[in-house]
Amino acid sequence: MLELRLVQGSLLKKVLESIKDLVNDANFDCSATGFSLQAMDSSHVALVALLLRAEGFEHYRCDRNISMGMNLNNMSKMLKCAGNDDIITIKADDGSDTVTFMFESPTQDKISDFEMKLMDIDSEHLGIPDAEYHAIVRMPSVEFARICKDLSSIGDTVVISVTKEGVKFSTRGDIGSANIVCRQNTTVDKPEEATVIEMNEPVSLTFALRYMNSFTKATPLSNTVTISLSSDLPVVVEYKIAEMGYVRFYLAPKIEEDEDDTKPQA
Amino acid sequence: MAEIETLGILQDIESLVADKLQVVSYKWLSRSYLISSDTAKRLLQEFVEKHESGLQVVYALSGWLKKDPPSYHIRLVSGSKLPEAKQDFDGTCSIQVYSVQASIPKDPAALWNAEFVQAEELFKQPFTADNCLRDNRFCGISNSYVKRNVDEIPASVAASQPKSAVDLESSKKMTSYQNTTVLQPQKSEMPKVSPNVGLQSSTVVKEVKSEGNRTDHQASKPIAVKEKVASLPTNKKKGQGDKTCSSTGSSLANLWGRVPTKSKLGDDHADANRATAANPTVSSAEAQICAHEALQIENSDDDEQDVNIKRSSNESGRKRRVVFDFSDDEEFEDAVSLASPENPKDQSCLDLKQHTELPKGKAHLNNDEQLNGKLKIKEEKTSELEQSLVEEKQHNCSTEKNEVCAHENDSIKVENPVDATPASPKRRKVLRTRIDDRGREVNEVVWEGEEQKQKKDDVSSAKISDQKAVETTTNRPPAAKKSPALGNGGANPAVKAGAKKPGNAAGPKQGNILSFFKRV
Repeated sequence: MLELRLVQGSLLKKVLESIKDLVNDANFDCSATGFSLQAMDSSHVALVALLLRAEGFEHYRCDRNISMGMNLNNMSKMLKCAGNDDIITIKADDGSDTVTFMFESPTQDKISDFEMKLMDIDSEHLGIPDAEYHAIVRMPSVEFARICKDLSSIGDTVVISVTKEGVKFSTRGDIGSANIVCRQNTTVDKPEEATVIEMNEPVSLTFALRYMNSFTKATPLSNTVTISLSSDLPVVVEYKIAEMGYVRFYLAPKIEEDEDDTKPQA
Repeated sequence: MAEIETLGILQDIESLVADKLQVVSYKWLSRSYLISSDTAKRLLQEFVEKHESGLQVVYALSGWLKKDPPSYHIRLVSGSKLPEAKQDFDGTCSIQVYSVQASIPKDPAALWNAEFVQAEELFKQPFTADNCLRDNRFCGISNSYVKRNVDEIPASVAASQPKSAVDLESSKKMTSYQNTTVLQPQKSEMPKVSPNVGLQSSTVVKEVKSEGNRTDHQASKPIAVKEKVASLPTNKKKGQGDKTCSSTGSSLANLWGRVPTKSKLGDDHADANRATAANPTVSSAEAQICAHEALQIENSDDDEQDVNIKRSSNESGRKRRVVFDFSDDEEFEDAVSLASPENPKDQSCLDLKQHTELPKGKAHLNNDEQLNGKLKIKEEKTSELEQSLVEEKQHNCSTEKNEVCAHENDSIKVENPVDATPASPKRRKVLRTRIDDRGREVNEVVWEGEEQKQKKDDVSSAKISDQKAVETTTNRPPAAKKSPALGNGGANPAVKAGAKKPGNAAGPKQGNILSFFKRV
């Protein structure tokens, strides 16, 4: 028996919006500690890790660990039927092959039940090691989204370089090139507008803007985004979900051609 | 042996072990003091008894393993692990002192170092000089039929066709097994032996084999060691030692150069093999016999003649024929292997096969360059035939081979890549088939270094089986079949081009998240 009641239902809607373009089908894993998801995009370049902790729910009941395979597009379709202020309750019975989304309007005068079929998905769960990152950049999520959007109109890869000076996003395309430098800036009125750069050593990595743009769909979830970079690791783009968890996007960097030759093609 | 002499040697051993920190093995002892290997072992035993403390002993255990099916094993075990290792053997096993040293070397190759240096020196001596390695005088096994004359260089040109094929086989085997340059004496003796003993080439093989074994015994216990199980870490690094030794065998090449084409193939092959590793190659079945014989001999220094006879009567008699079939098959296979490195000859020996077969194909190419056109036709014709042959062969020897493989795969696998490096920098003309970026099949004759190829083989070997199915659909089976091995590099760009598209045309390639995070 599973019953999760989320007062701020719009959160779940936003979460789904942020990941459904990247991942088609995924297993939602429910345990006593929380509601989580880990999935790779179809090309195995990016990975999404979602966590909604049990404490974030008004009511959280999960008798035993359960993994529910869902088509995220279908789930999103159903969640779109919920109003932004609705309370969303996720319910599932043990052994059942369906999940029920219940939407209650704030005034409690409308209650909707949506039952969705579950699916069997071969989950490929990846072990993500805790790592010390060479550089961690925290900046307004809107700013990051804007940069990615702007750069993608010029090129299709972005080089993110973190130095003492700041973080530089640069791209190059047929029509020319672009460089955007964001300096550390903590003297702002609101802390969420600050740009904070923690750097242990300079790092410069190249990423596909297509994926970055896809990650920025999570912008509504959080005012700030944290970008963690290490030269030998995928970048982590993390959006915190107020007081209950996060959505993290991992993106494998683009690798210089010759290096790649050592790896046999799968 | 006179008591005084013995005492002197024992003192020498003590100073060698204690002061020079040398590993004193019975082989080394036998060669440097010109005593029989048996005596050397006894001396070492005596030494160990006298100096129980302050030194480490490596024992050679040999006997039948307890597991089913029983297999004969020779194992090097350090003194401390001796009782434990004994448990693995069924009933009695012979325990002999293999070497004494101040401490067990971290790198097992160190066990062989002294021997190799010594063997090298012995072989570097001029041909005319007789030394204990050349005449094999301290070997536990002696064969009165074999006459050794150091001055003469083999007249093996006279060898008949089938015999030379056998030569190929046996030489391959020997090189692979011995990995030392002991080949010289054998080679020179062999042709002499053949008229003596019989006209049947099978007999020749036998002789050759016993030769090989004999030398085995004296010059290179490593063979036996090779048979050893992985319990002792030694058999890995040993390859390096072998290598150093084998690379010195330049004179060997001269000798081989006189052998007719067939054997020359073998030579190339042998060279490659020697370089590439101790490959029991296709002849694994007989190789195994050889190995087993070596083991037996190893174990029975005392009743050597007995063993000899026994061997020739039972094992060799039957197996020779098999062997012979093999070498016949091999000719076909050689011809075809150029194009079909993926012969499913023996699944259990897959790696083995891939390693071995490719060089063979190469050697073949090299020699039969001008025949290429003809060859192809033949290949096409034979490919089916070959399939059946191969299957048959597989049938014949798979059981035997399995054992060998089990024993040797480890060492071989390790040795192969390692030994590839010192392989002669020879460049060979090789027919390569690859798929160009427009998807056309391109055949080209290129000069190719061995190392490069080796590398490629390694990489491609994994794929061969996958690609095989696809490749065989093309209209030219032989060439197409070859492409998985060599044309691998060519096939890749296509994949790459596809992968590149999402990014900048000339930009770096997108990495894969799976290369960073492991599945759990």
